[in-house]
Amino acid sequence: MKYYLYWGCSLEGTGANFLLSLKPVCEALGMEFEEIEDWNCCGASVSYAGASDLAIKVLNARNLALAEAKASYDIVAPCSSCYIQMIKVNHEIKEDPAVLKQVNECLSEGGLNYKGSIKVRHIQDVLYNDVGVDKIRERVTSSLNGLKIAGYVGCQSVRPYGEYDSTVKPVVQDRLLKALGAEAVPFPKKMLCCGSGIFLPEMDYCLELVKTILEDALNHGAKMVSTVCPMCAMNLEMYQDRINKKYGTQLDVPIVYLTQLMAVAFGMDLKKDAALNRNVIPPEGILKEAIG
Amino acid sequence: MAAYEPSFAQEVSGNVDFGDEIKMCMQCGVCAGSCPLRDHMDYPPRQIFSLIRAGKREEVLNSQSIMLCTSCYTCVVKCPRNIPVMDVMHGLAHYALKQGYVPRKDTANFGREFWNQVYKLGRIDEKDLPRRVFFADGVVSGIKSTMNFMDVGIKLLLHGRMKLLPEKKIKGIQPLRKMLDKAEKMAKGGGVA
Repeated sequence: MKYYLYWGCSLEGTGANFLLSLKPVCEALGMEFEEIEDWNCCGASVSYAGASDLAIKVLNARNLALAEAKASYDIVAPCSSCYIQMIKVNHEIKEDPAVLKQVNECLSEGGLNYKGSIKVRHIQDVLYNDVGVDKIRERVTSSLNGLKIAGYVGCQSVRPYGEYDSTVKPVVQDRLLKALGAEAVPFPKKMLCCGSGIFLPEMDYCLELVKTILEDALNHGAKMVSTVCPMCAMNLEMYQDRINKKYGTQLDVPIVYLTQLMAVAFGMDLKKDAALNRNVIPPEGILKEAIG
Repeated sequence: MAAYEPSFAQEVSGNVDFGDEIKMCMQCGVCAGSCPLRDHMDYPPRQIFSLIRAGKREEVLNSQSIMLCTSCYTCVVKCPRNIPVMDVMHGLAHYALKQGYVPRKDTANFGREFWNQVYKLGRIDEKDLPRRVFFADGVVSGIKSTMNFMDVGIKLLLHGRMKLLPEKKIKGIQPLRKMLDKAEKMAKGGGVA
């Protein structure tokens, strides 16, 4: 199983624990990755302030064209924003072939062309559909033994296209958590947005969103929250002390990437593979207790 | 509701990305009901569509809500008329900024600096971007914002979640810029300064 891995800008920095844990986990499951050479940023969700919709499409089409020129592997995008920006181009091309013509007119300025043949997949999609829960369950050596985890889906990993999971009642992350031995607690706010890309400039409003999500997870018995998005991880983890100060709450909930939990359940090194030392709110204690 | 006045609707339809989608709106309000930041909006999306039809140009292009979008796609999924509401909001915000309106100052600064960096480097430098955003309104507010975010920076640094080296330009930056320049020329309303 060979794929392109398009990890994007944040997985080299604020989302380092995602990339560090994703690589050994996927390797252990038989996945091989290749980098898209000289990839560029996807533009995320705020570029509209400075760019037209066509420019943002072209930005993403460049990555797709670079990948297509070299091989026909699917692109795996762990960051939800990278994922959505790239599949959006593919969807809009499919809906209207004139879009492909426009995009190619721009790409040709740099000697590139995109035929529209490259599939873009979310990391949850390949784990669930290509690897499968059975294979993941077989690889587990240190079951999470019923640890209560809130699988936070957020927004862009499934919305709007719902390519591999429901946009209304998603199940994939919960099933992956269960394969690791965890108990995926249901919580109604699992799809409420965390503020995403405008968290920083609109923090006053977005702190409230994070408070609502985390309190809902805790009220449903969760000991930690899992995520598959570097923005969700950052927004949910980094500002809990500010929420506590503003609202008088006592939030101190570890936020972990699904791939970090997989590394732990696969019996891998907690530091080198699971990168747990990179979490600001430490999850080690709870995880060590769970695996016994 | 105000009387129908088509000139602004035509302007939107012709110059705003996804602007022609507004004609599909049947004013059900599901977009507003589903939005995570609805409580903070002056005019929820449904009302924006209505104001466009009523020719209320100033109200729309000055509206806070067109830039209060977290891009969560809930409205896109929920709209019974399949309007990509989020894309319309982004299109309106882009157009408003181009016309000199600034619906949300901080988000506008953030988005513009984000795009500037993509254009300059081809990638985002997570250290440099907040710095530029903080100092977009001058040195005094820049220092204040930097101090205010010092705790977050230190936490990230101590936990190995800050790329220490500055981000370099991608190899193909020049051809990328040519592609993006061409896209801006061909874009909807590309002729509108």
